[in-house]
Amino acid sequence: MRALVTGGSAGLGRALCDALLDDGFDVISVDREAPSQKTEAKHIACDLSDRMTVDNLLDKLEADEAFDVVIFNAGISATGKFEDIEPEDHLRVFETNASAPMVCCAGLIKAGKIAEEGHIVFVASLSHFTGYPGASSYAASKDALAIYAKSILKPLKNKHKISVTTAFPGPLKTEHAARHAPSEADQERRMQPEEAARLILADMRKRKAKSLPGGTTALLAMAGQLAPKPLTFAMKQIIYKKLDRTVAD
Amino acid sequence: MIRRKILITGGTTGIGLALANRLSVRHDVIVTGSRAHEDITEAFSPNLVYVRASQSDPARAVKTIAQQLLKHEWPRLDNVVLNAGVGFAVEDGLDEVAKMRRTLDINVSSTMLIARAMYPWLSKTKGTLTIIGSVAHKGHKRFPSYAASKGALNGLARSLRSEWAGEVAVQVLHPGPVKTGMHEKAGLNPGWVSEFFIRTEPMARMIEYSMSSRRSPITLSWSRYIGGGSITGRRL
Ligand SMILES: NC(=O)c1ccc[n+]([C@@H]2O[C@H](COP(=O)([O-])OP(=O)(O)OC[C@H]3O[C@@H](n4cnc5c(N)ncnc54)[C@H](OP(=O)(O)O)[C@@H]3O)[C@@H](O)[C@H]2O)c1
Repeated sequence: MRALVTGGSAGLGRALCDALLDDGFDVISVDREAPSQKTEAKHIACDLSDRMTVDNLLDKLEADEAFDVVIFNAGISATGKFEDIEPEDHLRVFETNASAPMVCCAGLIKAGKIAEEGHIVFVASLSHFTGYPGASSYAASKDALAIYAKSILKPLKNKHKISVTTAFPGPLKTEHAARHAPSEADQERRMQPEEAARLILADMRKRKAKSLPGGTTALLAMAGQLAPKPLTFAMKQIIYKKLDRTVAD
Repeated sequence: MIRRKILITGGTTGIGLALANRLSVRHDVIVTGSRAHEDITEAFSPNLVYVRASQSDPARAVKTIAQQLLKHEWPRLDNVVLNAGVGFAVEDGLDEVAKMRRTLDINVSSTMLIARAMYPWLSKTKGTLTIIGSVAHKGHKRFPSYAASKGALNGLARSLRSEWAGEVAVQVLHPGPVKTGMHEKAGLNPGWVSEFFIRTEPMARMIEYSMSSRRSPITLSWSRYIGGGSITGRRL
């Protein structure tokens, strides 16, 4: 059994790789950085914000064997006032978080590199339900991914028997998330990436369309659907008003 | 009534052109598109100023638009309508890579960068930024990338509306099917069904009324049309 995970060097991606390795998968991780700890996963260096590099990656993967599990997890962010964030940073966020996984997904399936009965997971964000003032391009990129996943779900199921799961994790206890949160934010209430990985993989195996890891996440998603405006307002109070700097990956 | 300064992207045909022609009767309007001026074949009001700025290169499109605004000595804008867009139909959920990137560049990346660049122009007037989405923003199996691009615009507008509250009103409008050349360009022949599509003029009216209401999000489909959405509402 073979699995591909993008952004597998740290955070949620590393936790997903570890869990898949424990389950006996051969894991390939695509990341612009090398893994931060020793791992059995094979690392392919690739900056997903660069189209030429993504094309080369696709060529490489298309020449190799098919995957049973493909997880598009890699994501970067740019936080601050929308107008203060550099245009290149907005573009890099959208390329990495939306264009690259969409292109890779379509490319791999066309080349027959996702096995029949296989699984695809897109890691979107809880921001799909709440909005995310202070990271508007990030929110846009994660919404693109969630809607793309929803759009291809039926065609892939009917034609290839491949299931598509979209994960909407809330705040995780990772270095990446800490970098982008307001300085005074409380780190302790965040979910451990290992826990989120376990829940997401369980939903993937059940071929669920949506994975909302954790009770709080599911509750916030529901609140966001019932009362979208108050929730975005709350996000503004909690995050945007407290942002003390502009940070781009 | 004040005479407004308005920028509309994708105003060479379809919904954008109908809106531009309509608004140019009482306001100053600049429209953009990717084609050469002489390739605009439909009635194009002589009041309109045309700027050629292809959004397949987002950074360049932004630069051109900003330069042209300065050249025409427009230091402020009351309304910006980000309407330019393309889509491609697919059979089995799988887009071609090049078309996917084209859709996202034109519909999302360019829209994001133009919105950002227009902030100083709009904040001077406490103006309105209108983003044209689509009812497909919730997902569509015949147009996965197009739906994704419109989902992105919906999310962009939601967060940006909150960020810019009190400075610039950001809104997203989601039209239902409109009778334009878009479907044919998308590789889709709607056939007799297109008789039920809303025509561009009533759609332009509904957009104008939505712009003056500054609310968001607003769905502009048949039900609103039948409810009188194209005859009742405030003009800009
Ligand atoms: N028609 C519908 O049923 C429908 C429904 C919902 C939403 N919408 C949305 O409404 C908007 C307008 O659609 P429409 O039906 O009026 O489409 P249309 O008739 O095809 O017109 C599209 C406009 O976008 C411009 N455009 C396309 N590519 C461009 C590029 N690379 N750079 C700059 N401008 C470009 C075109 O100008 P050039 O030809 O000069 O490039 C044209 O003015 C789009 O965002 C569309 O997604 C349409």
